[in-house]
Amino acid sequence: MQELQNVFSGRAFWAAMITLTLLTGYSFIQAVDLYSQASRSAVKYPELARGMVPLEGILVPTLGAFYLASTLLLPFIAIRAIAQDKETGALKLLLQMPLTPAWLVTTKVAAIGIAILALFLPALSFIPIWLYLGGHVHTPELLNLLGGHALYALVVTGIAFLAASLSDSLSTAAIFALACTLSFWVMDFAATASGGVLHRLSFYSLTAALHQFEQGLFSLSAVLAMLLAALALFALTATWLPTGIAIKKKLLISLVIILLVSLAAFGANHARVYIDVTENRRNSFNPADETALCRMQSPLAIWIYLSPEDSRLKEMEANVLGKLRRTVPRLEVNYEDTTGHGLFSSVPDERYGLIIYQYEGKQAESRSNSPREILPLLHELSGTEVKPEKESDYRGYPVVADAAGYGVWFYGILPSLLVFSWWRIWRIGTLSTNRDKRRYFDVCSTKF
Amino acid sequence: MNRNELLRVEDLSKSFSGFKALHEVSFDLRERDILGIIGPNGAGKTTLLECLVGLLSVNSGAVFWKSEPLTNSGRKDVMFYLPEDIVPYQEQPASRLTGFFRDIYDLSHERERDVLFRLQLEKVLTRRVGELSRGYRRRVLLALALLAPKPLLLLDEPFDGLDPRQTVEVANLLREESESGRTFVLSIHQLADAARICNRFLLLVEGKVVGCGTMEELQRQGSVESTNLEAIFFALT
Repeated sequence: MQELQNVFSGRAFWAAMITLTLLTGYSFIQAVDLYSQASRSAVKYPELARGMVPLEGILVPTLGAFYLASTLLLPFIAIRAIAQDKETGALKLLLQMPLTPAWLVTTKVAAIGIAILALFLPALSFIPIWLYLGGHVHTPELLNLLGGHALYALVVTGIAFLAASLSDSLSTAAIFALACTLSFWVMDFAATASGGVLHRLSFYSLTAALHQFEQGLFSLSAVLAMLLAALALFALTATWLPTGIAIKKKLLISLVIILLVSLAAFGANHARVYIDVTENRRNSFNPADETALCRMQSPLAIWIYLSPEDSRLKEMEANVLGKLRRTVPRLEVNYEDTTGHGLFSSVPDERYGLIIYQYEGKQAESRSNSPREILPLLHELSGTEVKPEKESDYRGYPVVADAAGYGVWFYGILPSLLVFSWWRIWRIGTLSTNRDKRRYFDVCSTKF
Repeated sequence: MNRNELLRVEDLSKSFSGFKALHEVSFDLRERDILGIIGPNGAGKTTLLECLVGLLSVNSGAVFWKSEPLTNSGRKDVMFYLPEDIVPYQEQPASRLTGFFRDIYDLSHERERDVLFRLQLEKVLTRRVGELSRGYRRRVLLALALLAPKPLLLLDEPFDGLDPRQTVEVANLLREESESGRTFVLSIHQLADAARICNRFLLLVEGKVVGCGTMEELQRQGSVESTNLEAIFFALT
């Protein structure tokens, strides 16, 4: 309770909440505008309507504001929960209480967890507005996406906590935490322009994990990896928070934590449980194809001669490779070095654009990145004949609406309500203590 | 073992990046003692207190509680340290802070009220800690220390920020607490304050103990006849 009061009494929390409301409002109004423009022609042509997916068009762009808030604002709130205790001397008192450092960190995590929920709640008012405008929300997609953002926020909190426990001041901790979260951006950006190790590493970045949820995919390995990362960061925070332990001992404990979590993460990486929560099954092949691919017990090797920035590779990643990774038990993807031999390079390379598949000694080549051509090729290699099952037709949800009028809610009413709540909570401290004071006075009136 | 020995410190040393803040500090503490750690700025008084309570790790040395070795984790069971110049939870009202301590230590409302009354804090209960004057803030912190149900309290500069009347009142309160069974270690740089309340003294200079004992014992150690603590201190240093 003390921790919760500490978080809610801080200006950082309320400032972040108001900023998030403004950001969400802007993202939502822009997203509805773009969605409406695309829907105008889709309303007339059913084929185009299939492409009108609220997850991609509304939910992900609007909740992009949550991503920004978690990356840039949440660290300040989380850091404050620990750094302020260090700066004001409260930590010296807390460490002497009958509480273990682990329990201390747990209470702080719980307080920040509640703060994250409270932070996101007002911004979620865009959902009833979207439904009122005639929009559609597929609940599993929304819950999965919110879960992804919650896990992302939890890991960012862990980074901020560790930064605060290692730093002497709030500002140093903030720089350290922001450097960590922003490095994921840099890693993703660099991976799009270069292949090799950086490209492989980018699969394990925090933003890549969140991206799976944004695509409507529930991946148990991603969930476990994010939970383990958060757990490790909180455990490291609890290790480095106490001041009376020698550095050598802290380093040793940290090493053990990292080792144990790495082992658990290795195991989690093999948790091949994926659920495609999208309404249009965008993350899945036809069930018949998936059954056949699951039966490919020998290693399937793929060599790709495409540069990382080539849009064909990006499409293939989304439409084929990602799905193959989730279905084929033993898949090996090799990104061949195309440096200097790219599409726009002066050095011609005949192999550029080629994709080679090898299974049980048999080999096939193709330049297509479409599953329609690749899947028959793979079935041929494995010697299976597949007859696609008939799937339910996804019709799409075109909506032509104008959300600009709701700017009043996001830019005016909601921020005003938050400012009022801020003021009320600031006052509540005094009000409740007036009650306390009366109680003290009543009982010891003779003394006072 | 002395009959009333409570705490014994043996050869406690602490260095910060090569700088020796404490050098083989040894002393003992008896039940109901009010031990004053006396020394100039930078003598290592705060470092010694933080090492004792386990907030700082030590390079060498040992601490014994009733002749039994006292582990780092076991220290918070028997002692509580109130640092100097801290402003915890400054955005929260004073009563919430004392209430937090009451809840954590499972104390009665009566005990809390008693401490608040004795420190004359009834007027500032509704005010935020950060908005209190230095004297009131110090008394709120003293209330927290007194609420901690530990037999040994370590207070760093407990009279700092208090006016002369308040100093006398707080000194009387500490003496009453001592008579009711509590033991105190006070870090004090005002020798007059120390002489007024402490029954034993530990003189610390540059991290080394230069004298320890009652006023009479210190007189003998310094070969001085004066009962003035300042004169004894200068003789020993």
